[in-house]
Amino acid sequence: MFATIRDLIAHRRLLREFVVRDLKARYVGSSMGFFWSVIFPLLNLAVYFIVFRLIMEVRFGDKMGPEACAFWMLSGITVWTAFAETISRSTNCLVENGNLIQKVVFPSEILPAFLTVSSLINMLIGIPLVLLGVGFFILKGDTAGFVEVETASLALFDGQVLAPPPDRTLRWGISMICLPLLMLGQGVFTLGLGYFLSTLNLFLRDTYHLVGVLVTFWMFATPIFYPVELVQSARDGQFAFILDINPMHWLIESYREVLLFGEWPPLNFIAPFLLVAFFMFAAGSTFFRSQKARFPDLL
Amino acid sequence: MSATNDKTGERGSTTSAIVAKGIGKAYEIYDKPIHRLWDLILPGGPRCREFWAVRNVYLDVPHGSTVGIVGENGAGKSTLLKLLTGVTQPTTGTIETNGRVASLLELGAGFHPEFSGKENIFLNCSILGMSQEEIEARYESIVTFSELGDFIDRPVKTYSSGMYVRLGFSVASSVDPDILLIDEALSVGDEHFKGKCLNWLNEFRERGKTTIFVSHDLGAVKSMCQNVVMMDRGEVIEQGDAEGVSDAYLKRIKERGNERLSMLNRGETEYPCWGTGEIEVTAMGMFDDEDKHSHVFQTGRPFVVRLEYKALKDTAQPVFGLGIYRSDGTYVNGSNHHWRDEPIALEHVAAGEEGTVEMSFDSMPLLAGQYYLTTFLYDHSKASPTAIDHREHAITFEVVDGAKHQHGLLYLPTRWRMERRSDGGEVTRTESVS
Repeated sequence: MFATIRDLIAHRRLLREFVVRDLKARYVGSSMGFFWSVIFPLLNLAVYFIVFRLIMEVRFGDKMGPEACAFWMLSGITVWTAFAETISRSTNCLVENGNLIQKVVFPSEILPAFLTVSSLINMLIGIPLVLLGVGFFILKGDTAGFVEVETASLALFDGQVLAPPPDRTLRWGISMICLPLLMLGQGVFTLGLGYFLSTLNLFLRDTYHLVGVLVTFWMFATPIFYPVELVQSARDGQFAFILDINPMHWLIESYREVLLFGEWPPLNFIAPFLLVAFFMFAAGSTFFRSQKARFPDLL
Repeated sequence: MSATNDKTGERGSTTSAIVAKGIGKAYEIYDKPIHRLWDLILPGGPRCREFWAVRNVYLDVPHGSTVGIVGENGAGKSTLLKLLTGVTQPTTGTIETNGRVASLLELGAGFHPEFSGKENIFLNCSILGMSQEEIEARYESIVTFSELGDFIDRPVKTYSSGMYVRLGFSVASSVDPDILLIDEALSVGDEHFKGKCLNWLNEFRERGKTTIFVSHDLGAVKSMCQNVVMMDRGEVIEQGDAEGVSDAYLKRIKERGNERLSMLNRGETEYPCWGTGEIEVTAMGMFDDEDKHSHVFQTGRPFVVRLEYKALKDTAQPVFGLGIYRSDGTYVNGSNHHWRDEPIALEHVAAGEEGTVEMSFDSMPLLAGQYYLTTFLYDHSKASPTAIDHREHAITFEVVDGAKHQHGLLYLPTRWRMERRSDGGEVTRTESVS
């Protein structure tokens, strides 16, 4: 693991070259350029918002206006998109750059790394959008994003009654200084997984296709478009375990606390996440490194 | 630049540039891809067969030498070069290299197709361990050398093969390597750039640097290298001075070529033939300077075409002729025994007559390539000659050129004369007849 970090630092210029190049390809290649990074999450948001909030009427607590709900979703979408995009691109990155790996002595460590860094930077466009949204509500004086829900409207599936969600107020907070830590944790986790999957993909090319499906499963297993309480209460809490084993849920909730409510990330979420991220990176980079000498033959 | 030179000089006196001890490379071949994964996580392997692309190679390349590696397709030349660059790891043995290694493997290798030429220069140079300042300092000279002009800002995927090579060579040459490994790359590209590269390579050699050169082009190998290594099926079968090994290699490809071409020539009736059939060509063949039946000939050496005929009917004024075509269809030469200053005229051939027709060449004028031979037998007694037995592309043969002194289609005997007048009025004349 440390050897991988050392190599990344040694090749930081090459890494930067790749990141810059990737960002350019994102923004310069298309006619809309930079705006795609804004439009894409917003379009996504529109689709999910219409489906989950307006058509399926998933309950977020009735006093939360659709706008507040939208930003609640957007914060999740932004983080998830960065994660999911990196994972699926990383899985194929060694195959895609086979030309480099097979023909020159190439530090392949930087491939998943540049994808991770590039999408984290790209995420930096989505985050201010969420913050601006929160700012908009503060200006409007309508910060009661998530308030107590009338008991009557809580009758969800099979007439169960939900415990009312706690009072929440949208605000900006000093806790924003945690954002770099969250992003670092996210990067370490994503990169570790990226190392693991990219190596596995050389042994089993189906990995790439599998990852595409699994990422979708994972997205729906993470409360991005529906409130956490729904999972906790559905079928007497049969599915609650999903939240207990889903690091991305811990991460996204931490982001939401910071971005929407100006609170510090809850320790029972952020601590296990950082731990998992660390182990993911250790495992992923060790696997990657153990097979690295064989990459040219495996391609 | 000079600092590096000094360093190399020191190294050159003490160690070799490349020492390979018993290196071998086995590729694992799995019948099913999933078995590779089972081997990784489950005990009870291996579940693969091994294929040894390179086996048991010992090399000791001293600083400042130029070594050529020759061999047929699949002999393991490229794998050996990859092992020497360090791109792949040997399965057995060790490789030790002293100095900065740059390589020019196949076309466009090491370039990112989506990146522009400029970005690829930076990418490649950083991979080779140059600092930002070093790259910036050399950038202009790289672009100038490559002659890519405005294309340098276009993505590399839009480049022609010649442009790939130009960029690749410019980068490899600019990193100031101690050891340069070249794989066929120079066979692409126009003569002008090739010349420029050869110039650079000569200078490079004169500065005491080491070059390893893989090629099919025996002429280039012979003219560039002092030592040649011949490989076959992954093993080094001969190594030594350029002259000896290249001749052995030439002989080898001649034998191989004969085997292949006689296979090709076996189908007698595959080629188009037509005519009245009054006289039948019963046998034909090409023979080399030792009068051995052959399909492969060497430029500059004598050869003979011989055919046997048998007349089935009485025929007036039959004329035998020969045509030589290059594989691309170019009509190279045609002649017969009648249209000559001293014609051989056959006024009448009676039924049942048999005979031999021979056309001999003192010196094969063709340069390397594949050619066809067409035989004509026409009746010239009519107003316009009519075919008796015409055999289109009846024989396929190959010409190899060991010397490679001339380029193009034909070897033309030339004489060179030079007169040099020095300032002091002294005149030296030199002449080269062959």
